[in-house]
Amino acid sequence: MLSVLIWLPILAAAIIAVIPKNLPANTVRLSALYFAAVVLLWNIFILFKFDISNPGMQFQEYLPWNETLGLSYQLGVDGLSILMLVLNSLLTWIAIYSSSKETQRPRLFYSLILLVSGGVAGAFLAENLLLFFLFYELELIPFYLLISIWGGEKRAYAGIKFLIYTAVSGALILATFLGMVWLTGSTSFAFDAVSTQTLSSVLQIVLLSGIILGFGIKIPLVPFHTWLPDAYVEASAPIAILLGGVLAKLGTYGLLRFGMGMFPQAWSMFAPTLAIWGAVSAIYGAVVAIAQKDIKRMVAYSSIGHMGYILLAGAASNALALVGAVAQMFSHGLILAILFHLVGVVETKVGTRELDKLNGLMSPIRGLPLISALLVLSGMASAGIPGLTGFVAEFIVFQGSFTAFPLPTILCVVASGLTAVYFVILLNRTCFGRLDNLAYYPKVQWFEKTPALILAALIIFLGVQPTWLVRWSEPTTTAMVAAIPAVEKTVNSEIALKP
Amino acid sequence: MDFANLASQLNAGTILPEGIVILTLLGVLIVDLILGRTSSRWIGYLAIAGLLASIVALYFQWDATNPISFSGGFNGDDLSIVFRGIVALSAAVTILMSIRYVEQSGTALAEFIAILLTATLGGMFLSGASELVMIFISLETLSISSYLLTGYTKRDPRSNEAALKYLLIGASSTAVFLYGVSLLYGLSGGQTELSAIANGIATAHIGQSLGIVISLVFVIAGIGFKISAAPFHQWTPDVYEGAPTPVIAFLSVGSKAAGFALAIRLLTTVFPLVAEEWKFVFTALAVLSMVLGNVVALAQTSMKRMLAYSSIAQAGFVMIGLIADTEAGYASMIFYLLVYLFMNLCGFTCIILFSLRTGTDQIAEYSGLYQKDPLLTLGLSISLLSLGGIPPLAGFFGKIYLFWAGWQAGLYWLVLLGLVTSVVSIYYYIRVVKMMVVKEPQEMSDVVKNYPPVRWNLPGFRPLQVGLIVTLIATSIAGILSNPLFTLANNSVANTAILQATNVVSTQASAANVEHPERL
Repeated sequence: MLSVLIWLPILAAAIIAVIPKNLPANTVRLSALYFAAVVLLWNIFILFKFDISNPGMQFQEYLPWNETLGLSYQLGVDGLSILMLVLNSLLTWIAIYSSSKETQRPRLFYSLILLVSGGVAGAFLAENLLLFFLFYELELIPFYLLISIWGGEKRAYAGIKFLIYTAVSGALILATFLGMVWLTGSTSFAFDAVSTQTLSSVLQIVLLSGIILGFGIKIPLVPFHTWLPDAYVEASAPIAILLGGVLAKLGTYGLLRFGMGMFPQAWSMFAPTLAIWGAVSAIYGAVVAIAQKDIKRMVAYSSIGHMGYILLAGAASNALALVGAVAQMFSHGLILAILFHLVGVVETKVGTRELDKLNGLMSPIRGLPLISALLVLSGMASAGIPGLTGFVAEFIVFQGSFTAFPLPTILCVVASGLTAVYFVILLNRTCFGRLDNLAYYPKVQWFEKTPALILAALIIFLGVQPTWLVRWSEPTTTAMVAAIPAVEKTVNSEIALKP
Repeated sequence: MDFANLASQLNAGTILPEGIVILTLLGVLIVDLILGRTSSRWIGYLAIAGLLASIVALYFQWDATNPISFSGGFNGDDLSIVFRGIVALSAAVTILMSIRYVEQSGTALAEFIAILLTATLGGMFLSGASELVMIFISLETLSISSYLLTGYTKRDPRSNEAALKYLLIGASSTAVFLYGVSLLYGLSGGQTELSAIANGIATAHIGQSLGIVISLVFVIAGIGFKISAAPFHQWTPDVYEGAPTPVIAFLSVGSKAAGFALAIRLLTTVFPLVAEEWKFVFTALAVLSMVLGNVVALAQTSMKRMLAYSSIAQAGFVMIGLIADTEAGYASMIFYLLVYLFMNLCGFTCIILFSLRTGTDQIAEYSGLYQKDPLLTLGLSISLLSLGGIPPLAGFFGKIYLFWAGWQAGLYWLVLLGLVTSVVSIYYYIRVVKMMVVKEPQEMSDVVKNYPPVRWNLPGFRPLQVGLIVTLIATSIAGILSNPLFTLANNSVANTAILQATNVVSTQASAANVEHPERL
């Protein structure tokens, strides 16, 4: 059942790679869209079959693969991953939909997108460390090609930078996984076979640092983020949607699943540092975004900021904060996707992304009124205005984290305020003001608006009906938290006993 | 001594696979003498058939009850069978590549194949040789044939220079090896058979004397030359650039596999007492090879030179398994060499195809190739990415197993270095992929602009195509469907007596070291 989510896109990628060469790009795009739609429908079907009250893995699948390496084909989905899967297939569909009808080399483009989509689904579904790593590394080359073939001016530089950072992150993660499995004396890489509780706390801290650094590059956390602005800005709009919407979630998911889930003891020691780190990330992202002159760069830095909240919530690791973290991951995916899509539309219609050159797009006749309106809406969602999904997620995060880490939480609230600042700057410079007299922009076609409208509807719906955002992850996160306090107490008592 | 006893001592059936190769070799020579150049249409296929028959014969020798033959001169155990198979298979694929290449260079194909088969023979005997003279003779058979092959295109000054360089370095390193071997003969009280030497040294109670250490270092100098480990690697880039490309394909896989087979057999059988020392030396070689191979490969502009440094680096990765000195370590070496065969031969097939069509092998000339030759682009991309260890290709599983075995043996820093240098290696492998795939049509190099239309029905191109597709498929799926290969590698180690025995000895030795810390 779950295998379909992995193998249907990969099969579709193979089919698209070999369809005849002389077909027009749009036909290729439509067939990719069709496959992505089937995957999305299947994913929604799984979402409704998902038993919310069950905190454990569901729809498990198991096939022995390679006994010698301890690698087995073992899949399962729980509250932490189900929304990420939906996000993945939704954004894949949207990315394909919002790609240009005249894409160069369409067969390669769409088959790489579908390959990435299958790989990401595999990483979210894997219940075996090595299998996870396999799918994680599978994104490396397709994304490198997607950035450096269909990107902007500096795409070669951005592509290589992305490649090296991600490869380093992969090496760190693999080293940690090998360490986790071998040091605990396990012979299998299966999630439930690995228990780090027996390790000394020094080893746990070393291994957890490996996890945090490895996934921190992917998320990205502040000192390791420098690949992100280049990669996001140089990638074309559909690729930026996938990069920011899906790939970054792989980082936070990995952090929660492997960092918090497998090292509860060391995690609670790291928690204060992580909370401050998250707050610093959030403030940094917001402050640097204020200084940008390019709207895509602004959105890219906003992504760094929003990922900081997830780290804060993960550090707080109580039931509420974790629900907030999952909600923030999902809603950030939606919001980033709509922002990148709208920025892409503005860039194709107006021909520039510079804040100094854009003006008056709100103008009803000659401007891009609907796009501007949606841009305002999504900017508000990103800044955390009530009634939209961003607010719900951030509020749960803040409420959950405040009891644990008041100061970092307040810093994050400040960052949230700064987010509003740069989005107001962005909206003010692009949507408001007067149009140049020479501006004649091409009309926005219906099909270009559709993805944004769908996403906007989702953002509003989840904003006013947040149950649908949080109900999936509640039992799982509660169960994850239940594993921590018991340990935390022993740590505290150990510390208390020592002197 | 009656005849039956002599026959059982000789146990000549063990070398049936080599016998088939010898027959093929003679067949190729004689047919060439009788028919002249007209035979070159099918003589390659004759040689391939012979090599495949030899592999089939190897298959029937699996798990032989009595592998020792020629009074201990040759050991046909499962370890040797795997390595002989690798050597024979690499020769078979090399012949597929060379049919067109040698013809186009205007030299005789049959002579080339005869020398190549002799080298194969040397490599196969080296994999099972367990007696000093036998080791030396097969090593020389392999080396001398390799010098001849390197200088085979004798009108090309680069090929001549490469052959001279290879000959001078090779001959001197064999001399050093010979000196180490003669020391062993003296130290053990006149034994030439490997296990007898081990016993001789053990009973002489010379322990970890200077003599043993010197002979160990001299022997490693010879082995290091064959596997192109870092301080003994200097011949590699120049020979790879100058020699005919099919020869390089063979040297990088067949000759290297034979070198590793020799290393396993010699080190584990003869030197268990100085296990810590040879592990230390090989750790140094592995570190140097991984760092130097991967870092210097970044700066190469010629495809063959880049693959030369890459093969130095890959030897460094394989050495992790040797240093681990566990069953998993040896099995991971064997598995990696098996997949290395597919990846490297696939890569070299593509390079040969490109240089046959365009006459150059500069990396910059590959730009924009995807439009003119998609199959070549696919093949070269897959093989290079697999060499870089990208999932789900064969090289990824090979590296994972090596690192896994290294980690199990406690070689944390070596594995971490392996991971870091793998990241470096991805950069230069992907540079070629970038040239071929990412470049826009207007950035096409002149060579690619004038690329001849792809035609497979020209004489000699069909075997190239077959070789390319077979190795490409193997590279793509040997990782996902790796269980048979894993079982093969694990069984060959588990069924090999020498590896079992030495594990016990070396653990005893290390236990002894623990008991007497003052000796250290």
